[in-house]
Amino acid sequence: MQYRPTAAELLRDISTLLSDEVLDQVSVEVQHKVRVAANIAQILEREVQLSGPNAQREFETTRDLLGVPAGDTAPLIELRARLADALRQGELPGRDDDEVWHALVQIARDDLAISKPGHDSWTGDDWSRVS
Amino acid sequence: MSNNIEEGIGRWLSEHYGKPVRVIGLERVTAGARRINALFDAVDEQGTVIERLALTALPNLDIQIQPMTVEAAVRTLAHEAGVPTPRILGATEDMSYMGGPFFISERIDGETIPRRVLRLVEQHGIGTKVSEQLGAAFAKLHQINPALAPAELHRPKEGTVIESALVGTEAQLRELLQPSPAFSYGLRWLERNRPAEPARQTIVHSDVRNGNLIISEQGLRAILDWEGTRIGDPAEDVAWPMVRMWRFRNDHLPVGGFSVITPYRAAYEAAGGEWDDDRVRWWLTLGTLRWGLGLAKQSHQHLSGEYVTIVMAASGRRVSELEYDTLMCLRGA
Repeated sequence: MQYRPTAAELLRDISTLLSDEVLDQVSVEVQHKVRVAANIAQILEREVQLSGPNAQREFETTRDLLGVPAGDTAPLIELRARLADALRQGELPGRDDDEVWHALVQIARDDLAISKPGHDSWTGDDWSRVS
Repeated sequence: MSNNIEEGIGRWLSEHYGKPVRVIGLERVTAGARRINALFDAVDEQGTVIERLALTALPNLDIQIQPMTVEAAVRTLAHEAGVPTPRILGATEDMSYMGGPFFISERIDGETIPRRVLRLVEQHGIGTKVSEQLGAAFAKLHQINPALAPAELHRPKEGTVIESALVGTEAQLRELLQPSPAFSYGLRWLERNRPAEPARQTIVHSDVRNGNLIISEQGLRAILDWEGTRIGDPAEDVAWPMVRMWRFRNDHLPVGGFSVITPYRAAYEAAGGEWDDDRVRWWLTLGTLRWGLGLAKQSHQHLSGEYVTIVMAASGRRVSELEYDTLMCLRGA
């Protein structure tokens, strides 16, 4: 086992270095890339912390949506492909559309907790008041 | 930019005005990889400014999407119909001036950088006005008789606009390196809720949104970047500036971060446009989903080595934003 700092701690250090020290020292053309890199380091820091539980939840949700039998040990990437195919074709047996939509939203929210926290504060437009 | 370009434009302008003209103060305004955009003054022999102008050019013909003369012709039609867009002095594909095709237009002052545009709009309280001006501009554009458009303008076969949008999206979806249940679900929704083919196909701009607008204290001054203009469903055009990313964090103001939908719709209809909520929502959803597939494609270009940059790599990690937005477009608040 590696000694501290942890991967998440080091990624934070890299992000801080890029934002606080490197950014001012590079040309304008490179600045945008440095900002992007600092943001990626922050994404990875959150990924290290959250990807385990998120993947487990997506795994269970997807198995449940597909009705995967107990003996089927397909990994998440395979289950995702099956779910995408099934949704492309039509309804999932025994699942109403509302349930599927909410499950997909939960998966997207979990992904956003890593890639862009706060992006899910918007929940769509209110078209009932248009016209 | 080189003196050769100044010399080339000067030569073209001298022929245009029928007297010797020089170019001064040439300033490149975008760092776009493809197009050259520059501002300059045309002066006569005495050094008196004749006109303040803008240049749009391509470095060569290879990267041309459609002839710049076609784009210029559409812009002139739009300008004559009252769509705010810089008047074109002329366009040419004659390589002898600058080694690439170009057109020259009048120069219009104002703000174009999205966040600054929104700040300006907020400071002057003109968000609703800008939306109304956009709605009216679209109505004028969409009422131009498409038969007047140049024959070379991209146009789908009559009655295939919706169909080809779906087929194209399906093809993009198949290219994903990792399947996306959310996008698959979204595309199925789009297929099941497809609108009828539009009653009228019209000239569309295809990329009107904050970032391609010149805005001043008076509101909308000009619509820029007509590179993607073609014949299509007018509802696609009016939906595009409403896609969430073009709101630049003003999520509660669907029309480009400027205003709510009602005044935009009302202005479009008042100026003769036909608006159908379901059809606009459908294009809004499709535009959102396609943007997500476009971001995925950027990351593929990075991964394949075709275009390696951390910026394109990061696009792959933005895909979940568009999955979420697509799902929200399907239901809404």
